[in-house]
Amino acid sequence: MSGAEDVNYYFRKAARVMDLSTRVERMLVTPFREVKVDVSITLDNGELGTFIGYRVQHDNSRGPMKGGLRYHPSVDMDEAQGLASLMTWKTAVVNLPFGGAKGGIAVDPARLTPREQERLTRRFVQQIHDIIGPQRDIPAPDVNTNAQVMAWIMDEYSRMHGFSPAVVTGKPLDLFGSRGREEATGRGVVMALTEYLADAGRGAVRGKTFALQGFGNVGSWTAHFLHEHGGQVVAVADAGGGTHAADGLDVPALLDHARAAGTVAGFVGGEAITNEALLALDVDVLVPAALGGVITEANAADVRASIVLEAANAPTTPKADELLQTRGVTVLPDIWVNAGGVTVSYFEWVQNIQQFSWDEDRITSELGRHMRDAYATLARVVRERKVSFRTAAYIVAIGRVGRATTLRGV
Amino acid sequence: MRGSEATKVVRSVLCRGLTHEQTDQIVSAMVPVTVEPGALVLREGERGQGLLVLLEGSVEIVKRGVDGHEVPIATAEAPSVLGEMGLITDRPHSATVRALTPCSFNLLTRSQFDRLLKGESLAAYKVVATLAEVIAWRLSRMDDKVVELARRRDCPPPVEELAAFKQKLFSEWNF
Repeated sequence: MSGAEDVNYYFRKAARVMDLSTRVERMLVTPFREVKVDVSITLDNGELGTFIGYRVQHDNSRGPMKGGLRYHPSVDMDEAQGLASLMTWKTAVVNLPFGGAKGGIAVDPARLTPREQERLTRRFVQQIHDIIGPQRDIPAPDVNTNAQVMAWIMDEYSRMHGFSPAVVTGKPLDLFGSRGREEATGRGVVMALTEYLADAGRGAVRGKTFALQGFGNVGSWTAHFLHEHGGQVVAVADAGGGTHAADGLDVPALLDHARAAGTVAGFVGGEAITNEALLALDVDVLVPAALGGVITEANAADVRASIVLEAANAPTTPKADELLQTRGVTVLPDIWVNAGGVTVSYFEWVQNIQQFSWDEDRITSELGRHMRDAYATLARVVRERKVSFRTAAYIVAIGRVGRATTLRGV
Repeated sequence: MRGSEATKVVRSVLCRGLTHEQTDQIVSAMVPVTVEPGALVLREGERGQGLLVLLEGSVEIVKRGVDGHEVPIATAEAPSVLGEMGLITDRPHSATVRALTPCSFNLLTRSQFDRLLKGESLAAYKVVATLAEVIAWRLSRMDDKVVELARRRDCPPPVEELAAFKQKLFSEWNF
């Protein structure tokens, strides 16, 4: 699910196109800093719980490092490394003044009580407080971490360093969070698609058909905005199952159902459909919005959509990516498409530093500017260098990071 | 330096494996020479007088580069042998030797050496063998130097690699 190797694969592909030396490649891939800490807490039953926390800071040539903190048993140094570098390239593609980082704790939070989760989070902050900070490294929510966890981090860090809301993003609205943060990724995904369709002369979202895999934060907000733009969402699936209606699902009703039931399965407005069948539906746009590695060598040939919109991180394996490309399917890559989340995180950080809050219109219009500017640059590279959007995105990112690195000097 | 000490030095650098009588034969064919600091001992391009055994002091060896400037090659300290090529071949000196401190030498002129060879002096032939050893050692050091220079030219230092990367990003890959 990490896609860490895929990140390196796509990076190397772009590096080959740019004919970078292996030594320069190694310099760009090597993380700035890797930290592994003991996070021990007393559990509610009095026993000692010991967990391992990680933080990888990949690159800070363009600014403080930024990236999520996840609580998941699969978290380890390898995964954090790949994802930290992905954040470096992603922030560079949308031109945010940030570098990349990632980390978390190897733990299944479902087995911890909220009090234990709070102690765990505070203990982790105590262990890494000297390497994070508003001008060093700014964590954000990720797998199994949410606004409440960010609030604890802000509080614990502020106890040690004084009032510092800008040390994390994705905070609750009532505690220096930003308007539009929750829906940011989904909004950005639809903005990305709109830009591409208009530029490629392929019309608009209105009237197009969509199949979405994943209906968590990103999937559900993507569905919401597609519906708002007149798109026809014909199928949605999540871990609990799927639902399908050939003439379009009633998205607001589906959102209500999913909120109540915790899954899209069992929605009365559609027929059941499996995840595999959803990938092979005859739709205009396929939107993987949940897990990594869902479009593989095994099922890429079944994809009938002409556009794959990567709302999730690393949903397409490198082999599948090549298969789709040879079949003429346009893949709009994750490092640009889902960068809306980190972009609004950046706005949250800016507002915290300004001690001023922006209204939703400003958030939306600034997000649109970043997504559009990024697209204009990517489209130019695609046209001039005859590469895929994904390779173009890595080329742009490597260029920006490399120019900052060499201007600062090593 | 007293004659007996000079004999010891000559023996250590030039007459290893010679009997005392043979060493005396070589030493008695030599003439003592002293040089002030800064003075030239040998001049590049000039016909050699013969071989010099540096008994005391230190010298620097310099060679004229293609641009006419002198490039220091090495320094040598007593005890050492200089001008050995001039004893065997008729070629002019390949480098200039300048005294860094007050130096004293024993000079074995070519004509004296030729006389010993003509007289089928075993001592002289043994000296030739020692010189061959000295020349072989200096040649192998030269080989190392050539390899080092070639390597330096093949791969540019890392700073240049980074500069090339920067140049590439600001020209060919600037979007």
